[in-house]
Amino acid sequence: MARQIVHRLLISIPALIGVLFLCFCLLQVVPADPAMVIAGPDAKPETIAAIRQELGLDRSIPVQFFEYILRVMRGDLGRSIISNKKVIEELALTIGPTIELMVGAMLLAVPIGIGLGTLAAVNRGSLTDRFIMAISVAGVSMPVFFIGLMLIQYVGFRWALLPFTGRTGPVWDGGLPSLILPALTLGLVLIGPIARLTRTAVLEVLGADFVRTARAKGLRETVVIVHHALRNALIPVVTLIGLQAAFLLGGAVVTETMFSWPGVGRLAVGAIVSSDFPTAQGAIMILAIAFLTINLLVDVLYVYLDPRVQST
Amino acid sequence: MSTEVLDHGLIGTASQETGWFARAGLLRRLARDRVAVLAASALGTIVLAAVFAPWIAPYDPYFTDLTKAMQAPSAAHWFGTDNTGRDILSRVLYGTRNTLVLGLVGVIVGGAIGGVLGILAAYYRRLGGWIMRLVDIMLAFPAILIGLAMAAIFGAGLSAVIIALVIATVPDVARVARGAAVGVMGQEFMEAGRAVGVSDGALIWRYLTLNCISTIFVFLTLRFGQIILIGSVLGFLGMGAQPPTAELGMMAAQGRDFLFMAPHIATIPSCAIFVIVLAANLLGDAFRDVLDPRLQT
Repeated sequence: MARQIVHRLLISIPALIGVLFLCFCLLQVVPADPAMVIAGPDAKPETIAAIRQELGLDRSIPVQFFEYILRVMRGDLGRSIISNKKVIEELALTIGPTIELMVGAMLLAVPIGIGLGTLAAVNRGSLTDRFIMAISVAGVSMPVFFIGLMLIQYVGFRWALLPFTGRTGPVWDGGLPSLILPALTLGLVLIGPIARLTRTAVLEVLGADFVRTARAKGLRETVVIVHHALRNALIPVVTLIGLQAAFLLGGAVVTETMFSWPGVGRLAVGAIVSSDFPTAQGAIMILAIAFLTINLLVDVLYVYLDPRVQST
Repeated sequence: MSTEVLDHGLIGTASQETGWFARAGLLRRLARDRVAVLAASALGTIVLAAVFAPWIAPYDPYFTDLTKAMQAPSAAHWFGTDNTGRDILSRVLYGTRNTLVLGLVGVIVGGAIGGVLGILAAYYRRLGGWIMRLVDIMLAFPAILIGLAMAAIFGAGLSAVIIALVIATVPDVARVARGAAVGVMGQEFMEAGRAVGVSDGALIWRYLTLNCISTIFVFLTLRFGQIILIGSVLGFLGMGAQPPTAELGMMAAQGRDFLFMAPHIATIPSCAIFVIVLAANLLGDAFRDVLDPRLQT
C-alpha cells in the first residue's frame, strides 16, 4: 500500500510542475508589464528599470521559472498589486472558508446521493426509480448559479429564512446559518452524479454471486443491501467523488462569487477581473494543488477500500 | 459525469463495433425511445432558433430603451426586458447562438485533438506512454481553473473560454479513444491488414479510426452538455463574452444585480441553459443506450 501511495505521489510531481508553470506563465504572458503597473502611469524609466531588476524581470525565462519555484517553496508568492498585502497571507485567510464550504457541500451531497441511488437501484424500474433518475439528470444539467439564484431569491430574500451574503464566522462560532445556503447550492449539484453512479454500482453488485449467497442464507433484505451490496458498491462511488473534485472546485468558485463567500475562488475571480496577477496566480495555484491533493486522497482511500488493488 | 464508468462502458463496446454505418437499426431504435425523441426535437428546435436568430428575433438584441427597463414578461416582450430595456427573448436567441457555438467548437476541436492523440497512443505504444502521461497532467486541471487561467493570461473573452473548453475536452476524449483503439488493435483484421502490407497511415485511418469513431462520437455527445455548462459558468464569472455581446451565462450574471426587483432577467437565461444542457444530456444518454447494449437496463 505504501508503494502505491509513493507511486501516486511521484505521478503528481509532473502535474505539480505543470501547475507551477501555468502560474508562472500567468505572471509572464500578461499583456501589461508588471513593473509598469506597480510603478504607476507617471513613473520615470529608471524607476521602472529598478522595479524590473528587483522583480527579476530582466533575467531569462528558465532562470526566472527556477527562481519562481524556489520562491514558491519558501512560501513567497509576491504581493497583491491592488492591496499590496502578501499573497500568501490573503490565501491563508481565504483557504479556510473554501474548505469549510466544500466539506459542508460534501456532507450534504454524499449521504443524500448514496441514499437516493440505493433507493433507485433497489426499486429498479419502479416509479421511485424513474423519479429519482429524472431528478438526478435534471440536477446534472443545471448550472450551479441557477440553483444559487433560486435559493438566494426565495430562501434568502423572499422568505428571509437564512443569510445569503458573506460569512459571519467559523461554523463553531455562529457561522452555521451563513454556510447553509452556499453549501446547499454546491451540494445540490453533486447529488445527481452521486445518485446516478450509486444506482449503477448497486445494480451491478445486486446481480453478483455473493449477494445471491447472502440472500440464500436467508439474511434480511436490509442486511443484504446495506452490508453486502452497498459496501461493495461504494468503491466506484468513492472514485466518482474524487472525479467530482473538479466539479466541486469549479462550483465553489461560482458559489463563493454569488454568496460573497470570502474563499479562494472569489479571490481568484476578483483578482483576474482587476488584473491583480500575483494574487490570481497564487489563488489558481492553491486551487490546483487542492485538486491534486483531493485526487491523491481518493486514490489512497480507494486502495484502502478495495483490497484487490493492493495485491496488484 | 463519471469518465471512469464511461470508459469501461465504451471500451467494452469497441470490439463489438462494426462501424458507424453498419448500425442500420440505430435511428429506428432511437425513435422508439420517447425521451430521446423529445430531447432530439427540443435540441433541434433550439439549434434552429439559434441559427435563424437574426430572422426570428422580434427586436434588436442590442437596442436599449431605458423607458422600458425591467419590464416583466408581456405580450410585447414574451420574456420581458432587462435593466437597459433590451428584449430578453431576442437576447436569449442570440445568446443561445454564442453558447452553442462555444460548446460545439469545444467538443469538435477538443474531440478531434483528443481522438487523434488517443488513437496514436494506441497504435504507437512507445509514443503512447508519453501521450498518456501528458493527458494525465492535463486531467490535473479542472476546466474552470483552466478557464480562469486563460482569462487571466489572454484577457476575458470568448477565445479564452474556447481554449479552456478545448483543453478540458482533450484529455477525457484521448483516454476514451485510446481505450477503444486498444480494443480494435487486438482484432484479427488489424493483424491481417498488417500481414498484407497495408501502410501505417491506412491502418490508422481506415482500420483503426473508422472503427473507433462511433465510440468517440457517443462520448462527445455525453460531454456536450457538460462543456456547455462549463462555458456558461465561465461566462457567468465574467471570464467569457463581454457586454454587450449576448451569452447566456453572462446574461444570468448581469441579471443577478437585479434579482430582487426583476428576477426574470437572471432566471430566463439560466432556464435556457438548463433546457439546452438537459436536452443534450438526455440525447447523449439515449445514444449511449443504443450504441452500448451492455449499459441498457
